[in-house]
Amino acid sequence: MAIEKRTQFEIDHRFDPVKNRHYINGVCSVLHCHHYATLYTQLAVDAVDFEGLRHLVETSEDVFYETLDRYFKEKGVEAIEEKIEIAQQYWQALGMGLIRFTGIGKYEVVAEMEYSHLDEGWLKKWGGNDKPVNFFTVGFVAAVAALVNDRPTRSFQARETRGLVCGDEKSEFKAVVK
Amino acid sequence: MAIDRKKIIEEMSKVKVLGNEEGLIPVFGVYVQQLPAEFWNGFARRIVNSVPEDLVEAAEALLVNAAHECGYHTGYGIITSDEFKKVVGPMIESEPEDVLHAAFAIFTAWGWAQSEVIEIVANEKMVVRAYDYYESDVMLYGKAERPSAYMIRGVAAAFMDLAYGGDYGPEGNTGIRTFKCEQTKGIEIGDDYAEFVVTRN
Repeated sequence: MAIEKRTQFEIDHRFDPVKNRHYINGVCSVLHCHHYATLYTQLAVDAVDFEGLRHLVETSEDVFYETLDRYFKEKGVEAIEEKIEIAQQYWQALGMGLIRFTGIGKYEVVAEMEYSHLDEGWLKKWGGNDKPVNFFTVGFVAAVAALVNDRPTRSFQARETRGLVCGDEKSEFKAVVK
Repeated sequence: MAIDRKKIIEEMSKVKVLGNEEGLIPVFGVYVQQLPAEFWNGFARRIVNSVPEDLVEAAEALLVNAAHECGYHTGYGIITSDEFKKVVGPMIESEPEDVLHAAFAIFTAWGWAQSEVIEIVANEKMVVRAYDYYESDVMLYGKAERPSAYMIRGVAAAFMDLAYGGDYGPEGNTGIRTFKCEQTKGIEIGDDYAEFVVTRN
């Protein structure tokens, strides 16, 4: 009889009492609220002349690519299915919402979110918006798309095609190879 | 002052959170997330470095404002929480000064900055020092041209709003921005510690 083994994202949360810092799997991490996340997003949206959104998405892509890549290497995670499962559980553990990667290809990667920190926070703070706002996750999806295809950052161009904040039932993301 | 910083840090640093079945962390009346510090530093430095010199202060002010609102609403949620009442409540002799001292002990325990209140002039001024904070990690060697602890600046001002700014305004229309904060020293600009002076706006 076949036994199904579910990949589990392992969390090692440590507090350094000397420096008073928290580390999740060796990465210095901090708690912040939806006010902080939504105002950073609004700042990026407003900074049109200074490519604010590009900075936000690329920061997200760089940081989460590095974090997940390190985890995959340390734990010996190689299979695409395992990488996807880990990425989904990682996003959930961080409090960023429930993401499901529904399509993985060499040329495109598709994901959806039923719950999202950014959208819930935006709705709570300001109500809805006519355009999607989850640029943190756009960068994350670009990072995951590159990682599962064993490619470097900036290999994929990601965008959010539907958003909970716009009244859609789910947020949807699509990353396409450049 | 009966605030036992060591005990607060010991107790509050044990608080560990994870996303629920929806991947969300609803606590203290807000949603929180626990992202790598590098994410916040990375975006802040990229945006500040991308604007012309005459707009640097304006960009910094927006980053400070994000923290100010975060500190105001989350700070209120923290100081009215059951955890705060249980751990800190019995230590409070003098309000709101003891609450401010306790708030910076929690600020330390949760990894925002190893910080403490150095001086309080009731209703007027507060001086805070930080001896280690993630926002100083932007420099790997040498020093930066300008201080960059935007988060601490915003939160310190918000804590004074909560202490002396009048009734809490959940919509952010009242009570907030009655104080402002200036960073006068910083590890990232070569000082041994950072210092923040909060005064009336």
